[in-house]
Amino acid sequence: MIYIATFFSHFGAIRFQKLCQGRDWEAVLMPVPRNLSSSCGTCVRYRSQSPCPGDTWPREVEQVVQETPEGYRRCYRAENS
Amino acid sequence: MDRKKETCGMIASGLGIGLLAVALVCFGNPANMGFCIACFLRDTAGALGLHSAGAVQYLRPEISGLVLGSFILALLRKEVSPRGGSAPLTRFVLGIFVMIGCLMFLGCPFRMILRLAGGDLNALFGLGGCVCGILTGVFFLNRGYSLKRTYRLPPLEGLLMPIIQVLLLALLVLAPSLLRFTEPGGGPGGMHAATAVSLTAGLIVGALAQRTRLCMVGGIRDLALFRETKLLLGFAAIFAGALVYNLILNAVTGDLYFSLGFAGQPVAHTDGLWNFLGMLLAGFGCVLLGGCPLRQLVLAGEGNTDSAVTVLGLMAGAAFAHNFGLASSGDGPTANGKIAVLLGIAAVGAIACVNTFRKDNA
Repeated sequence: MIYIATFFSHFGAIRFQKLCQGRDWEAVLMPVPRNLSSSCGTCVRYRSQSPCPGDTWPREVEQVVQETPEGYRRCYRAENS
Repeated sequence: MDRKKETCGMIASGLGIGLLAVALVCFGNPANMGFCIACFLRDTAGALGLHSAGAVQYLRPEISGLVLGSFILALLRKEVSPRGGSAPLTRFVLGIFVMIGCLMFLGCPFRMILRLAGGDLNALFGLGGCVCGILTGVFFLNRGYSLKRTYRLPPLEGLLMPIIQVLLLALLVLAPSLLRFTEPGGGPGGMHAATAVSLTAGLIVGALAQRTRLCMVGGIRDLALFRETKLLLGFAAIFAGALVYNLILNAVTGDLYFSLGFAGQPVAHTDGLWNFLGMLLAGFGCVLLGGCPLRQLVLAGEGNTDSAVTVLGLMAGAAFAHNFGLASSGDGPTANGKIAVLLGIAAVGAIACVNTFRKDNA
C-alpha cells in the first residue's frame, strides 16, 4: 500500500524517510501534493504493509494518509494539528 | 488535479499575475511595482503613522486584496485552518530582517522579478543574492532547522487577519483623513491605481496564489530540495508575462515600460554589492520562515497566525527601516542600512544555528 506522511518540519521528513528506508521500505521526499493540503511543506511517499514504521508515530509527523482509488484515506493525525 | 494540469494551472496563473502587475502600473502604480509586498507593507505602515517618511505613505488595497482573496478561496474550498504557535516571536524578528533586506534592495522577491521584466539589470544582483540566501537556508533545513510544530487554534484567531484587512479598507474608504498619504508627485507612495482596481487585482492574485501555492522563494527551495520545478515555473511565467506585456506597451504607448540597463531605473539603485546582500538576507530569512512575503500574506488569509505575526514583523521592519535611515533610495544604500543588513545576516544566521543544532533536535 502507498502512504503519504506530512510533517511539521522538513527535517522531520528526512528522519522519517531514513526510518522507512531502515525497514527497506521504498520512501521518497517530495513537496506535499496540492490536493492533500494547501501547505507547501515536505512529505514522504512510501510503500509498506502498515502505515507506521515503529511502535508509535514520531512526534514530527503531522498526518498520514493512504492513497486509494477513491482518494486519500486518513490513517493518522497528530493531536491539535 | 493531476500533475500536468497543476503545472498548466501554475503557468497560466503566472502569466495572469504578470499581466495584472503590468496593468497596475498602467493604472498608476510606480514603474516595475505593479506588486511589491515589501513596498506595499512599507507604504501601509507609513499610512498608519508607523514611520514618517513622507514619500512612501499610502494604504495599499492590494495587501488587503491578497489576504482576502486567499481567505475567500480557502473558505470556498474548506481550507481555512486557524493554526499557529510555532515560535511566533522568532518569526516576528525574522520578518523585521527580511524587510530590512528587501528595503536595501528596494523590493521583495516578487518585485525583483518585475524589475527584471522591466529591463532593470540591477535586479540580477538581487536575484543572485536571493538564490544564495535560499541555498543557505536550505543548508540549515537539511541539517535539522525547525521552528517547531503549529497547533490548531480557535476560529477567531484565524479570522482576525482578514477582519483587520476589512477594517483597513473601511478606514481607507470611509475615513481617509485618519491616514497619512504621500501627495501626488511626492514619491512612490503618491503613485497608485484607483482603490477598486488595486483591490480587485489583489483579490485575484491572492486567490491564484492560494490555489497554486505560488511562492517566489519556495520555487528555488523546491528545486534545490527535490529537483521540483513547478513553483519555479510560476516564477518564470510571471517574468515572461510581465516582460511581454511591457514590450507590447512600449511599442503601443511610447512610454517606457521596458528599459534595459543599470542606470536610471525606477525606484532602484546601482550598487550591485548591496543589492546582492540585501536579497541574500531576504532570501535566507524567507526560507527560515517557510515562504516569501507574498506567501506569508496568503497563509495569513488561510488562518495561519504565525504568518500573520510575520506580516506584522515585516511592517515593524519597514517602520524601523525608515525611522532609522536603513532603507535605500534611488541614490543608493545608506551607511545605517549597510550596518543593518550585515547585522541582519548575522542575526538570521544565529537564529538558523540555534534552531538547527540544539540538543532536542538530535
